[in-house]
Amino acid sequence: MDYVVHILILVATYMVLAMSLDLLAGSTGLLSISHAAFCGLGAYTSALLATCFGVPFFIGLLAGMAVAALISFIVSLPSLRLHDDYFVIATFGFQMILFSIFNNWIGLTRGPLGIPGIPQPILFGWHVSSRLDFLILGAALAGFAYFVVHRIISAPFGRVLHAIREDEVFAKALGKNTLYFKVTAFAVSAALAASAGSLYAHYITYIDPTSFTVIESILIISMVIIGGAGSTWGPLVGAAVLVVLPEALRFVGLPSGVAANLRQIIYGSLLVIMMMFRPCGLVGKYGFSK
Amino acid sequence: MIQLLANGIVAGSAFALVGLGFALVYNTTKFFHFAHGALYTLGAYLALFFWQHLGWPPLPSGLLAVLLTGAVGWLFGRFVFQSLRWRQAGPLICLLASLGTMIALQNLIALLAGEESRTLRRAAVIEGFDLLGARITQVQAVIALVCAGLYAGTWWAISYTRMGRSLRAVANDVDLATVVGVNTDRAILLTFVAGAGLAAVAGILVGCDTDLTPAMGFQALLMGVVAVVCGGLKTIVGAAVGGLFIGIVQSFGVAYMPTQWKDAIVFTVLILFLIFRPLGILGSPLHRAAK
Repeated sequence: MDYVVHILILVATYMVLAMSLDLLAGSTGLLSISHAAFCGLGAYTSALLATCFGVPFFIGLLAGMAVAALISFIVSLPSLRLHDDYFVIATFGFQMILFSIFNNWIGLTRGPLGIPGIPQPILFGWHVSSRLDFLILGAALAGFAYFVVHRIISAPFGRVLHAIREDEVFAKALGKNTLYFKVTAFAVSAALAASAGSLYAHYITYIDPTSFTVIESILIISMVIIGGAGSTWGPLVGAAVLVVLPEALRFVGLPSGVAANLRQIIYGSLLVIMMMFRPCGLVGKYGFSK
Repeated sequence: MIQLLANGIVAGSAFALVGLGFALVYNTTKFFHFAHGALYTLGAYLALFFWQHLGWPPLPSGLLAVLLTGAVGWLFGRFVFQSLRWRQAGPLICLLASLGTMIALQNLIALLAGEESRTLRRAAVIEGFDLLGARITQVQAVIALVCAGLYAGTWWAISYTRMGRSLRAVANDVDLATVVGVNTDRAILLTFVAGAGLAAVAGILVGCDTDLTPAMGFQALLMGVVAVVCGGLKTIVGAAVGGLFIGIVQSFGVAYMPTQWKDAIVFTVLILFLIFRPLGILGSPLHRAAK
């Protein structure tokens, strides 16, 4: 039972990540490969504040989101001058640089040793300690992220984002300051990713840089695309499938020595097959088919 | 000083070769070919298998490994990329399909060959010789020479042969190339084969100098991509210039800063290029139309 709850908590965390990336990739058409780095920024900020200064979880969470949003300006302002593939490559570069900082700034992050002993959160007197408590907190966070993303998408602001995705020049011609919209979407997306990172750090109570690699960024992108980019349910379905699927493959009875590799092979092949036969994702309509 | 330059040039020539293969595929198909990194690894491991497992002489095993990797490149081009193209999939879909292929292939290699690091080196490292005050091993000299030779050959083939001309036509405008009677499908498959072959050669050469791990292709791919972007993605010579440039930057960066910041330095250079000179060192707006 504990195991199932653990998986559900991970699903909730990844749902937040996938939804926030979808705001950028699905709704605005900006595929960013730096999402895991923003998740890491949130995790490291709140973990360091909690372990060094005993800052409560809620403040740490907000601080993490603020830091991620601030850093997102440094990433997005130069990256957004570029188009399509060049934007992807630029965010990729930032992901590598941020990971390098997590891994090598030993004085601050303790590098590969990671930060152990992150306290469990206490929220307004509620000590979140059991797995079930964390599931409630995770579900609440996912609900919050869904609310935020949904409100943005259905507001006039979201319509401009869709317009940028379909035809940016046209959106500009209508007098929209597209750079402002894109930078704002990037910041909101980064802040939400940071909140997921913060929750993850306080749940596992230990973080190290390997959780925030470029591979993790790619996993989040795969969730968005396999679920269905630009649709309300797509990222949720994608996150659930890609977290549960590898876990389910554990029980197929693969020989333990080769299980990890076999799982990855199955995952890679599914990605290829998925792209060939259902490129819009499981429940999506919009299929990056520009 | 000269030593650093020499190290940079040796490392950079391998980056250039990976970058050239990547740029070939990118320019004709306009998508980010992640699997290129796995093909690099595949080439090195195939050579390892023929040479050390079956005990064949080094040259035939290397050649066969390159040919087989080229065949795998063809398979990807034919069965994955072309069926995506017929469905009119966008570049991001192709990117993800290629990524899936990379994950599957890389883990297949790890499954068959084991995760531990292997090496193509045979004997003890032979003491190198002096070249203008820098100490280079024979292997490193061979790496630089083979890379330079292959690069020049590819450049010649693209610039002066009929097939090369059709490649450039497809890179410029697929529809227009089809209209004037270029066999587009064949040209695209050829770039996949050539790209895979170049990646395999680079993998084998680097494997002779350092260790092999199943995950090494990803790092090589990144360096190759940085090299072509810095040099100029749309020019043929761009990968060479960018590869040498990145190799030298990395080698000097490591000398004056702690080693672990190597990646950070390279990617900071990449971002600076993207911001201030997105067409690369050699790229000029004219190249957009010319290549």
